[in-house]
Amino acid sequence: MSTSPLEQARGFLPIFWERVRSEQWRRGVSLVLIVLACAFPLLDSNEGDLDAAANATAFATLALGLNIVVGFAGLLDLGYAAFFAIGAYTYGVFSSYQVQPEWSGFWEPFQWLGFVARAHSEGVPVDHVHFQVSFWLMLPVSALVAAFFGVVFGAPTLRLKGDYLAIVTLGFGEIVPIVARNTPYLTNGAQGLNGALPPNLLGYSFGVQSLPFYYLGVALVVFLIFVSSRLKESRIGRAWLAIREDEIAAEAMGVNRTKLKLLAFAVGAGFAGMTGTFYVAKLQTATPEMFTFPVSVMLLVMIVLGGMGSVAGVVIGALLLQLLQSWFLQDLTQWVHALGRFTGIGLLEEIDLVQSIELIFGIILVLMMLYRRQGLIPERMAVTALTHAQQTAVPSRGGLKGELKPLHGKVVDPKVPLLEIRGLAKAFGGIQAVKSLDLRVMPGSIVAIIGPNGSGKTTFFNLVTGLTLPDAGSVTLSGESIRGLGPHLIVEKGIARTFQNLRLFPNMTLMENLLVGTHTRTSTGAVGAVLRLPSVRQEEAAARERALEVLSIFGNRLMPRREHLARTLSYANRRRLEIARAIITEPVLLLLDEPTAGMNPTETLELSDQIRGLRDRGVTILLIEHKLNVVNEIAEKVIVLDHGEKIAEGSPAEVHRNEEVLRAYLGRTATAAVRAAAAS
Amino acid sequence: MEFLDVLLQQIINGVSLGAMYALLALGFTMVYGIIELINFAHFNVFMVGSFVALWVFEAMGFSGQSQVLYGLPLIGVLLVGLVVVMLATGFLGAAIERVALRPLRGFPGTAPMITTIGVSYILFNIILLTMGASTLNYANPMPNIRWEIGDATLRLREVLLWVVSFALMLGLHYFVRYTKMGKAMQATAQDQEAARMMGVDVDRVVITAFFLGSALAGAAGMIFGLYYNYTSFIIGYTAGLRAFTAAVLGGIGNIPGAMLGGILIGLIESLGGQYLEVRWTDVIIFSILVLVLVFRPAGLFGRMAPSKS
Amino acid sequence: MSQNRFVRGGLKTAAVLGVAALAGVVGFGTAHAQKTVKVGISLPLTGADAEDAVHIRNGATMAFDEVNAAGGAGGYKIEYWVLDSGTASAGQYDPAQAATNAKKFVGDSAVVGAIGPVMSGEGKAMTPILSEANLATITPSSTNPDITDPKFAGQFKPKGKAIYFRTVTTDAFQGPNMANWMHDKLKIKTVFVLDDSGAYGVGIADSFQKQAEKIGIKILGRDQLNPKEADYTTVLTKIKALKPEALYYGGVGQAGVKLAKQAYDVIPGMIKAGGDGMQGTSILKGVGFPAIEGWYCTNASPHVTEDPGTADWVKRYKAKFAGAVYDDYTITSYDAALAMADAIKRVAATGATPNRDNVRDALQQTKLKTLQGEVSFDANGDILQKVVSVYQYHENKAKPADDMDAQVPYIGVAPEVPQT
Repeated sequence: MSTSPLEQARGFLPIFWERVRSEQWRRGVSLVLIVLACAFPLLDSNEGDLDAAANATAFATLALGLNIVVGFAGLLDLGYAAFFAIGAYTYGVFSSYQVQPEWSGFWEPFQWLGFVARAHSEGVPVDHVHFQVSFWLMLPVSALVAAFFGVVFGAPTLRLKGDYLAIVTLGFGEIVPIVARNTPYLTNGAQGLNGALPPNLLGYSFGVQSLPFYYLGVALVVFLIFVSSRLKESRIGRAWLAIREDEIAAEAMGVNRTKLKLLAFAVGAGFAGMTGTFYVAKLQTATPEMFTFPVSVMLLVMIVLGGMGSVAGVVIGALLLQLLQSWFLQDLTQWVHALGRFTGIGLLEEIDLVQSIELIFGIILVLMMLYRRQGLIPERMAVTALTHAQQTAVPSRGGLKGELKPLHGKVVDPKVPLLEIRGLAKAFGGIQAVKSLDLRVMPGSIVAIIGPNGSGKTTFFNLVTGLTLPDAGSVTLSGESIRGLGPHLIVEKGIARTFQNLRLFPNMTLMENLLVGTHTRTSTGAVGAVLRLPSVRQEEAAARERALEVLSIFGNRLMPRREHLARTLSYANRRRLEIARAIITEPVLLLLDEPTAGMNPTETLELSDQIRGLRDRGVTILLIEHKLNVVNEIAEKVIVLDHGEKIAEGSPAEVHRNEEVLRAYLGRTATAAVRAAAAS
Repeated sequence: MEFLDVLLQQIINGVSLGAMYALLALGFTMVYGIIELINFAHFNVFMVGSFVALWVFEAMGFSGQSQVLYGLPLIGVLLVGLVVVMLATGFLGAAIERVALRPLRGFPGTAPMITTIGVSYILFNIILLTMGASTLNYANPMPNIRWEIGDATLRLREVLLWVVSFALMLGLHYFVRYTKMGKAMQATAQDQEAARMMGVDVDRVVITAFFLGSALAGAAGMIFGLYYNYTSFIIGYTAGLRAFTAAVLGGIGNIPGAMLGGILIGLIESLGGQYLEVRWTDVIIFSILVLVLVFRPAGLFGRMAPSKS
Repeated sequence: MSQNRFVRGGLKTAAVLGVAALAGVVGFGTAHAQKTVKVGISLPLTGADAEDAVHIRNGATMAFDEVNAAGGAGGYKIEYWVLDSGTASAGQYDPAQAATNAKKFVGDSAVVGAIGPVMSGEGKAMTPILSEANLATITPSSTNPDITDPKFAGQFKPKGKAIYFRTVTTDAFQGPNMANWMHDKLKIKTVFVLDDSGAYGVGIADSFQKQAEKIGIKILGRDQLNPKEADYTTVLTKIKALKPEALYYGGVGQAGVKLAKQAYDVIPGMIKAGGDGMQGTSILKGVGFPAIEGWYCTNASPHVTEDPGTADWVKRYKAKFAGAVYDDYTITSYDAALAMADAIKRVAATGATPNRDNVRDALQQTKLKTLQGEVSFDANGDILQKVVSVYQYHENKAKPADDMDAQVPYIGVAPEVPQT
């Protein structure tokens, strides 16, 4: 009973053990699968089967790449095959018989490096350059080239919503094969690239044997699974998931949308670029038809089937569909023919199932979208439900105890106004939402903003936090102008907010929701996420500690549910989570938009206490409230807005007596009645 | 041919191309305007419509270029074809909405659009597997009248195409603007919840919109077949992408905009082909699509309804 | 509850597997008592090229069936193994699938030779694999010259020996010879060239254009059609304005049919010509008279369908494939299969067991009289005879509408390019 919430948290070790166990289980299964994959050629040494399997690994890596763009970041890319093409043709230009400029002195240093060779042909007077850059060097180079184009193609789509983004990517996906077809000097157009070089490992050339390509393919798949998983469970992955769930909320929690979207495109494109190089080195030719829209759709079907966002799922989806095409359907067709001969049914003897693979794709898409949107392997595994004891536990109030560190390390000058607004104005079309507002919030205070509906309170919050740009006026934080900064920068400066209508990330756990809030205070990038150096691990552990601390503010209401998805929470808990997520960004100024909406009196009192506790820890609070008892309880200063302008400012008591305020709330006749009643 | 003659001829070509794209874009843009769904299946419903019309004409005894009709019999044959095709594709569209899209209505993200890609594939492949990959010759019961303007030629079928698409566009526009169902559609487009609360049966509105849009697609299919004298499984593909661009250019959701957008795209195609090279047409048109979506997503003439935030 | 589901699922799987095993046993029941060899046939039976592929398959399988019925090739029964190289996602032939097929052939030691591919794009993917295994293939229709060009020997036959044999002449001849015809016979001075963006079309248009420029024909322009598009009036108007004497189209029917129909509308008076992609019953049917009237087309083989020997073949063909259509590629495919059978026979005659190496060597030495005349191959694998036949569409109301010989009469041999 007297244990602190933090100790209670540490007592909930079973959940941690579960995670560890599933981690081990995952590792065990992965190991078994890798061993099986390596042993496969020993069981089935047929060249044709190995070849099909090697091709399947290429599509698995493509699916992994698309998964990053679509599954993680939620950006529907219908032209993903374009990056596949770019990787393929990049290798084709630098390692094939295709581009053969005339020899000159310019090429000598490259010859010395081994990138080019001097080729002499019978009957041709001038020697030519033969490009032969090593496959192993081209793998990362193509990845980078494709990543570059990922950024180029992604940049125009940044401000587009789902459907339009898909169409723009579709457009790029169409343009790339056409350009490939129309630049025969580089690509030999429709006739197919001539002679891409197979990889050469320490003098051993892969030639046309399937076996080395198969192992290389398996290695690529394993590598990219590793990279995907590492990215997913990192700061970057969480930021992507947040963007997928709710872009605006993600930005309001400090995620730089632009940078992360471009990063998703770049990484996804990089995967495809690598695969393109692998595929062309194996096939030794490339035609533009290999990279058209149906290929992009096939990849989409693979990840929809397997499970968008689930690394294991998309690999399985890719392997299933690819092997379906190359193995099962051909064999199944033979079997159906045999059955037809056996039973004498003519139709069965004639039917060719391989031709109907695209029909099957279409059916899969529709059925999956209707009945199992999460795919074969959902992104999320089921979490254990709370125990009976946990569910029926008496809610403890939590609150901030002594162990909690001060919420932010910043030193704030108590004499300078923390937030100063001058002449702020914003109009939407013909409606002036905020008219020339002046406001001042001193550090360490709790200021309430009240006013009838439509008075501009939330718009004001949006203006301060950068979600909307003001038409006029200035906004300064401790003297520094923050007007016009994007929401994620505002968070970095130390202002956090909650939303009136709650903008949680519904399909992420509480823990993950909170960890997104730490985005601005942590700095692991994509490379760091993959390498997971000790410094990165430390940062991650510290962030989790912080999250636990913040959770403990709310007693045992949120803590036992921290591995549950946010959308399973009750309304009041969601409000608490919203606040917790704002708190974890270590703000100096916290903007709460109707934090107690929908709470009963007990919960309201509890939250008021918690707000006061926050102030005592050094956070300045600006809150929009409708419940006047809360305002009276905790606010030192009250500002009243009506029709976008400030009509009163002062202590709660002063404001209550103010004529203007009464009139705004109650109307003229009622005000008169109240005054009359007060006078008598 | 003189420069002006060439120019005039290419303008005529462009307007004809554009009228076809506009026809195809009408139903598509209307549906988008109401439920903000990019319906990929629309363009393969168009393709199915042209096959249905082919079968109807064959059933009535027309195939190949053998018979030319004039006057009343001609109009009779065309009307019968039109009615049958529009009913068939209308019901197909309504079925698609009911089975594949209604369960997903209101779902955030791109799930509904992905479903339409799946439906589109299904239609495409059913026709490919049953009818094969070859182009099928269309009946051509119309007379081959043409007028010369200098060195440029204007054909009767082109004029008919312009007239028909314009008429359909006007008809659709007036329907949406002035009829009760049309107003219900506008209301649904602006705010589904509010419309529901005002007594509008949103389900009925949406399925009617799909019926109407798909019927228009089918009509476009028949007109395509009559105009080009052929049909094949692939006609939805390129025409679809161009019509899509036309709809976006004109302002997706805007019906007169689709007409103007179509004509603009047609002119770009013909003039671009004449003064540059035909091989780059697709790249030019896609670039326009990308540019419009990025810099002016409302298109040239704005939208019928505000977009989802 | 979930356990029940598992049990049921397991039983279902077992049932399916059981039935499959049964069918497999039944299928394999037909044991082979005789000596057999396998020949692989890889064709794009899915997608845009399916129709042509079916004709080619018919030709080859008919030949093999006839050889088997007559006792086999040197006593060996030929078992043919047909694989599809087209995939739905490509919508036509898929080089990757062709490569996989080649690997399957190579992986089965009973396969001593192959027929196919149909398209040169597939050939480029298959040849390095075939060369590695010294497995010879005879193609009846792949005409891109690069594959047998000694300049590219390093990538298409790394092992050095020719394994890509053709019973059809390459585009190196079909295009240029037509240019010669236009210059010599038709006295044409200006041409506009179109292709359909496909591998074959671009290749033949390029070779036509190069030769035309060399012999003094002025090329007024070159552009590309999109086969998926419906409307070519833009480019036809452009051509009309330029007023060339002739239009040369390199490509197949998907664009060709529409082009011919619309060209009849816009440029009815101009001379128009195409390669073997514009020859065939699908063109005849798709375009029809009067639109196709006057179009020239070529074929990279001598004209044999009117030879008396061929008439008998036609009868046998129509009997075997009830009512099916045939074209010149059916014949080159038939001849290719005959050449393969002949090679196997010659190997068997020496007493050796046919394997890839000796079959390849035997093929190299082929001197066989077939429907198209004598078939023999040069050191690169190309057919020695380089005849390009020219035809022209002329309506013949007295004969049936789908009678190719009547409606598209043969008018001569295109002049060859002098060999340096």
